[in-house]
Amino acid sequence: MGNSSSLMLRDEEIDNISKETEFNRNQIVRLYSRFLSLDKKGQGFLEREDLMNVPELAVNPLGDRIVDAFFTLAGKDDKHLNFRQFVQVLAYFQPIDKTKKNQLNDRSKKLKFAFMMYDLNRNGYITREEFKVILNSMVGANITADQLDKIADRTIEEADTDQDGKISFEEFCKAMEKTDIEDKMSIRFLN
Amino acid sequence: MVPSPLAEHAILLASTFLFPPVAMVVVVVVLLATLGKSLGLRERYVATLIWIFEWGARQIKTTAKLKRAESHAPLDIDIESSEEEEEEEMDEDETERSTARSDGYESSSLGRQRRNSANSVSSRASSVCSLRRRHGSGNNIIRRDTQLNLEDDDDDLCREILPVTSRGWAVIGDSNGIEAIIEDEVTSRFEAEQLMTWNMLTRTSTRFFQFVNWKLTALYMAGFIFRYACLLPMRVTLFIIGLVFMLVSTAIVGVFPDGALKKALNHKAMLTCHRILSRSISAVVYFHDEQYKSSSHGIAVANHTSPMDVMVLSTDNVYALIGQSHGGLLGLMQRALSRASAHIWFDRSEAKDRSAVSKLLKEHVSDPDKLPILIFPEGTCINNTSVMMFKKGSFEVGATIYPIAMKYDSRFGDPFWNSSEQSWGEYILRMMTSWAIICHVWYLPPMTRLEDEEAVDFANRVKKVIAARGGLVDLEWDGMLKRCKVPPKLVAKQQEKFVITSFLTCQQLQTFTLCTFGSIYANRLSRYTSTCERSVPGTGGGAMNGDDAEDEGIASSPPISGYASLEELPEAEVVTDEEDNERPIPRSRSRPASHVVEPGH
Repeated sequence: MGNSSSLMLRDEEIDNISKETEFNRNQIVRLYSRFLSLDKKGQGFLEREDLMNVPELAVNPLGDRIVDAFFTLAGKDDKHLNFRQFVQVLAYFQPIDKTKKNQLNDRSKKLKFAFMMYDLNRNGYITREEFKVILNSMVGANITADQLDKIADRTIEEADTDQDGKISFEEFCKAMEKTDIEDKMSIRFLN
Repeated sequence: MVPSPLAEHAILLASTFLFPPVAMVVVVVVLLATLGKSLGLRERYVATLIWIFEWGARQIKTTAKLKRAESHAPLDIDIESSEEEEEEEMDEDETERSTARSDGYESSSLGRQRRNSANSVSSRASSVCSLRRRHGSGNNIIRRDTQLNLEDDDDDLCREILPVTSRGWAVIGDSNGIEAIIEDEVTSRFEAEQLMTWNMLTRTSTRFFQFVNWKLTALYMAGFIFRYACLLPMRVTLFIIGLVFMLVSTAIVGVFPDGALKKALNHKAMLTCHRILSRSISAVVYFHDEQYKSSSHGIAVANHTSPMDVMVLSTDNVYALIGQSHGGLLGLMQRALSRASAHIWFDRSEAKDRSAVSKLLKEHVSDPDKLPILIFPEGTCINNTSVMMFKKGSFEVGATIYPIAMKYDSRFGDPFWNSSEQSWGEYILRMMTSWAIICHVWYLPPMTRLEDEEAVDFANRVKKVIAARGGLVDLEWDGMLKRCKVPPKLVAKQQEKFVITSFLTCQQLQTFTLCTFGSIYANRLSRYTSTCERSVPGTGGGAMNGDDAEDEGIASSPPISGYASLEELPEAEVVTDEEDNERPIPRSRSRPASHVVEPGH
C-alpha cells in the first residue's frame, strides 16, 4: 500500500517542524492535510490564489491583506509558500505561553503580522495613504471620503509620536500597547 | 496482446461454468426488484462488513499499542495524556485510529462527549444516532468560536462586545481571517468526509492508509479482489439491465394514451428500473416517516450529495425531474423518461432565462395530474456533512414543499461526487467498486409558504428543518462557491457590517470621530440586527475611553429581518452548473430552480 507515501510527511520533517514551532505531531499532521487540500493544483506549495480560494477569506474585506502579510512574513520568495513556511507563520498565532520562551508566537511577532497588513509597500512605515487604503477596503462605500480622512488623520496623529507623518513599527507597537494582542491574535489549536 | 490459446480456453471454460449462477442471480434480482421485495441479503452483507471493519479497527489499535510500547516517544506528556484517553476509548467501537504514534486525536472534551454518545449505539448501520453524531467530530484543527456571519436576520444578538482600545487599527484581532486559512466551512464540504475507521478502501482517507500489520493487509487484498472480481462484474451487468429496462419500459409506456393507466404503468416501471439500478451499487436505503411521502403534485425538496440521490429517492416514490437537457447517454435517458411521463428538460438557452424555467415549473406544479417534482435547491453536490444555501426559485412557485432529508453512511463508500475532480464515468466506477451505499431518507411534513413570507426566508426555513432531521450542519454559504469566486456583494456586506459594528462601538465609547456614522446606522437598523464579529471589532477610538462600555439599548434591540438591501445589491451574473462547467446560469438567491437533476442515478 505505498503510492501515497509522497503525501505523508516523514518523521524527521515532523520532528524538525515540531521543534521550530512547538506544534505537536498531530497538529502538524492535520495542518499538513489542510495544506494539501488548499494546494488544489498539487504543486507542493501555495500561491496567493490558493488562499484566496477559501470563500471565507475571500469574503473578508481584508482577505488579500491577510494573505499578503502571510506571504511577506513567510520568507524572501514571497510567491510560493511551502509547508514549513506555512506552519511557521501559523505559529505566530499560537497563544502565548508564559512558561515557555518561544520565538515565534510572542507579542512582537503578532504585532508584526498586523503591521504588515497595513504596510502596503513594505517599507517599514505605515503612511496616511496606506492607512486610508486599508480603512477604505474595510468600510467600502459605506462612509464618505471626508469621514475617512478624518479618521485617518486622527489615528495617524495619535500614533505618530515623532511627528514624521508616518508610523514606524515601534510607534505601531506603542499605539497597540493597550490592546490585548495576545488574546485577539491567538488561535486555539486543538491538540 | 493476443491471449494464448490456453488462456482463451480457460476463460471460455470459466465463463461456461459461471454463466448459469450469474444468470440466476441476475434473474432473481430483477424479479425481486419488480415485486419490490428484498431477501434482506444486502442488510446481512452490511452487517458482515461492519463486523469485519470492527475487527480491522481492533487490529490497528493493538498494533498501535504495541508500537508505542516499543518506541520511546520523545513527547512524554503527550503519551501520558493519550494513555488516559486510551482507557476511555478502549471499549468504543468507533475509536479513532490514526497511526502508530497516534495519541488523542480528539482532545476536545466536546468531541469526546459526542463520540461517547455515539458509542452507545455502536456501529449498527441502522442506528441513526451514530450516523448523525459522527460528522461533528471530524478533523478539526482549531477551535473556532468566531464564525463568519452571513445571515442578516441572525437571532443571536451580539452578546460580547469586544473591547476596542485602538482607534483605527481595527485589523488587530482579525484572527478570523487566519482561522479561515487553517479551517473553513466551505471548502471542507467539497472533500470526502473524513471517517473514523478505515473501511478497507484506499480512496477514503490517507490517514489510515499505512502499513499496520500483515493481517490487515491480507484483509485489504481479499477485499480488493472481492470488490473488483466479484462485485464489479455483477454490478455492471445489473446496471446495464437496469438501463435497458428503463429504455424498453418507457418506450412501451409511451405508447399508451395519457390517463390513469399510463400513470400506473409508469409508476410501476420507474420503481422497478430504479430498484434494479440501485442494486447495481448495493444501495441499502432506509426510509423513515413514510406517511409524509408526497403523493400528488407538489415539489419535493432534498439535500444533494450525488447524482444517485435521484435513484435512491426513486426506489420508493416516482418523481418528475427537472434539469437541463443533455446529449449522449444522459440525453438518451432523459428522452426515455420523457416518453413515459412529463419531465422538465430545458435547453441551454433557456437556462439563462429563469423566468422561462420558472414558468415551466409553475405549469407543472399547477397540474394535479402530474407527478411531484424533485428538486435539489442547493444546486450542487455537497459531501453530506452539511446543507448549504437553498436557491429560492423553487420556493417562489407557491406549491406545497415536501422536504426530504438524506444522510448517507459513508463508511461503506463515499457517495459524494466531486464533479470538479471526477468525471461521471469515474464516479460510477467508484460507486460500483465500493462496498455498498447506505442511505437514510427522512420524509418531513409538508411545508407551505406563510403569508407575507419571503421566498428566501421560506427556503431557509425548509433548509433548517432538513438539516436538523438529517443531522447535517446548516450553512448559509452558497454551494456555488465551490467553483466560482466570492461575489463582490458578499464582501460589500461584510464592509457594511463592519461599519455598523464600528458605529456601535463608537457610541459605546462616546467618541466623536465615528459618530458621523449615525446616519448610516439609522438607515441600516431596519435591516440588520447588531453584528459583532471578531473580525470586525470596530474602529471606534477607545484609546481615550473605557473598554467596558456596553450599549444595552442597541445590543438588545429586537432582530428585524429583511433582505431589501441584499436585493438592491448588484447580482453576480455568472456561475457554472453542476454538470456542465461552461454553462452560465443565473446565480444566487434569485436563481430559479434551474439546477440540474440528473436522471436515473
